[in-house]
Amino acid sequence: MLIRLENDHFHTVEDRFTAVADDAALTGDGAVLLSLTRFEADGAALLAAGRDVGVRIGPADRIEALAPVLPSLALVALEFPKYRDGRAYSSAVLLRERYGFDGEVRAVGDVLIDQAWNMVRCGFDAFETTVGPNAWAAAARRYRHVYQASADNRAPAFVERARVVRDAVATVG
Amino acid sequence: MFHYDAIDAAMVADRNAEFRDQVQRRLSGDLTEDQFKPLRLMNGLYLQLHSYMLRVSIPYGALTSAKMRALAHVARRWDRGYGHFTTRQNVQFHWIKLSDTPDVLDYLATAELHAIQTSGNCIRNTTSDPFAGAAAEEVDDPRVWSEVIRQWSTFHPEFTYLPRKFKIAVTASPQDRTAARAHDIGLVLRRNRDGRLGFEVIVGGGMGRTPYIGSTIREHLPAEHLLSYLTAILRVYNRFGRRDNLYKARIKILVASLGAADFASQVDAEWDAMDRPRLDLPDLELARIRASFGLVPFRTLPPRSERFEAARSDPAFARFARNNVVPHKIPGYGIVQVSLKGIGEVPGDCSADQMEVLADLAERHGHGEIRVTHEQNLVLPHVPLGEVPALYAGLAAAGLATPNINLVSDMIACPGLDYCALANARAIPVAQAISRTFADPARAERIGELKIKISGCINACGHHHVGHIGILGVDKKGEEFYQLTLGGSGAEDAAIGHVLGPALGADKVADAIDKLVEAYLAIRQPDERFLDTYRRTGVGPFKAAVYPDAHQA
Amino acid sequence: MSEALKVLTANDLAGGQVVFLSEAGWSDRYADAVIFDDAAAADAALEAARAATLTLADPYLIDVAAVDGLPVPTSYRERIRALGPTIHPDMGPQADGGVLVQALQQARGAARSSGRLGLIRRK
Repeated sequence: MLIRLENDHFHTVEDRFTAVADDAALTGDGAVLLSLTRFEADGAALLAAGRDVGVRIGPADRIEALAPVLPSLALVALEFPKYRDGRAYSSAVLLRERYGFDGEVRAVGDVLIDQAWNMVRCGFDAFETTVGPNAWAAAARRYRHVYQASADNRAPAFVERARVVRDAVATVG
Repeated sequence: MFHYDAIDAAMVADRNAEFRDQVQRRLSGDLTEDQFKPLRLMNGLYLQLHSYMLRVSIPYGALTSAKMRALAHVARRWDRGYGHFTTRQNVQFHWIKLSDTPDVLDYLATAELHAIQTSGNCIRNTTSDPFAGAAAEEVDDPRVWSEVIRQWSTFHPEFTYLPRKFKIAVTASPQDRTAARAHDIGLVLRRNRDGRLGFEVIVGGGMGRTPYIGSTIREHLPAEHLLSYLTAILRVYNRFGRRDNLYKARIKILVASLGAADFASQVDAEWDAMDRPRLDLPDLELARIRASFGLVPFRTLPPRSERFEAARSDPAFARFARNNVVPHKIPGYGIVQVSLKGIGEVPGDCSADQMEVLADLAERHGHGEIRVTHEQNLVLPHVPLGEVPALYAGLAAAGLATPNINLVSDMIACPGLDYCALANARAIPVAQAISRTFADPARAERIGELKIKISGCINACGHHHVGHIGILGVDKKGEEFYQLTLGGSGAEDAAIGHVLGPALGADKVADAIDKLVEAYLAIRQPDERFLDTYRRTGVGPFKAAVYPDAHQA
Repeated sequence: MSEALKVLTANDLAGGQVVFLSEAGWSDRYADAVIFDDAAAADAALEAARAATLTLADPYLIDVAAVDGLPVPTSYRERIRALGPTIHPDMGPQADGGVLVQALQQARGAARSSGRLGLIRRK
């Protein structure tokens, strides 16, 4: 099941991307999801032909390698081979904050509900998981406040606290 | 003293609700043990040799009387009437049930306590100087910055699943009481030539299988950039720390393999590319945190207290005053160290009754503050000198007045194989045997400063690598053996100890320590601590004392 | 006196206490433990314990040997685990005393428990 986060709402969608194996032929004109290796071989041609292209990145792959082409990518899928491998969180944050990527950032692999909160905060907006969207949403919203800024742009506690002070001062006038 | 606001309280409440749900899902089978274990660890719950152990966080080692009473209550109601203070300024309860843990955590939350991130591959408790706010020589209060780091590191979404655990220490005095240089990140607060506050940033220290003293990657980081710079370090570690081998996954391995200079450039490159104003702490928030630590209503007192001086005519009190009381930055006050190393007792253990006595004494004599040291002792940081005699009497009645701070019987010992599932050998009985060997307080004072640290396995939770004498328990053909090291230090003169010789059987260790001490006393020069004599003479005389039949190299 | 005597142990999932497979189910007393002298039976019991994921954590087989007719774990780690912390004789199963407890307390030496090593490797 694929869950997407759009306008603060979690819902299931059909995956419009077809995953293409490294040695499989590329047919049709729909959206395709390629490995980094395949993308390095055939990506430029596909993009030139106007296809929607997504790239699947493993935890050891450097997200910097994609930087030049990110503006033309529709999707980056970040792998969690095991949910304990936290490298994709940094990749997601870099995609959003360093490179301003505004396409889909999808979590794939060992994607479990107890990490929903981390993923959403790090800028993932799509989740390939067996968990349903309502449960996923509840898990992602578990914490009413956050202490630090991250890719989701939630206001950290120190911003909330400053607002309280500002509002109090304004009220007193 | 720092207190939660509504946001801090909500954080803990939300975490406790999440964990309660996770425990329920584990017990009902919705979560496998493999999925649950890291979540359990991130809430401080270990499955140990005999039972679950809950490690409660004591941020930067700072307790109040109210918090200490809450710990006593947990010990009584859900454990077996005692707790154990650790080398990271936390407290452990050895007999907690998994099924009780959600209730224990909810109760702890009412006292502004929690067990968040005290285990697991995440950022752990940031530790600091137990004399913070009391030491005359501190450049700034390191608790302020430790609290800044606590908030930033709590539920950090990017750094929850690191290659391995991550430990940060903050110190602000020339004398380092935090072992900062043996941490993943050690932060030394200083003022630069222009008087600006900043941190020397030391990365890649650590104990364990491959001990390291950390490398300085930045001499003076302006204090206002602390959080963005820490983010850069953690991001480089999260991305490039090894994940293929559990024993090579700490940041110390990454720093060693890249070299400190290369590692520093990678951090700088990341830091330069960041949107720092977004990450760094605003001045208003820093001021808010700082203000909450500055509120002790110190009395105006003469520097000398007649009552304190008069009490010194009692030799026992005089010994306590000599060893356990240190001058305070405020005239007329003292810093009182409470030893949890009673002769023959379990190092670092404290009964619920003792916790309550300490809470009462701190309230009556110490502005309600208690600190935990990384050497498993406690401190009442703010005691008017005139109250020290009454405090001493109260401590003595509760078995808490052992006058041995920094002396030979003031040992660190991990719980070892008596409690820990990871251990190869017991540590506590070794400590008890050594303690009894040096029970005579006059002899202990004559020997002077001697830091013995005992670990029951190579994970080194007893910090044996940085003991003046380190003791490591090993399993040799089904028997407990102990390897001695000499010359380690966790202070500002940080060093890793060197192995003395072949491991010794359990019944030989106390005697070997005795021989080492006698060897030292025979050759020491004026004002030389054991460590200083060792550094002057090298291992020769000490090796000869313990292994008289060994060939001289 | 077979070399391959085993006892099956685990921790109770909810309570955390050490338990041993006994005739009447899982007991927190080592004295109640069933002694396996048949490797196949021991392995079958271990597999069943591994499947009991809602009640047990970390099951494994301990090597035991007959010492004066009493079954004693050959590894000192397992002896401590069966007794309780050695520095608190009033805590854990050792507080009950008895002949078997004494035998465990007085036993010395011998090898690492192979079952424990197998558990660590599986992780």
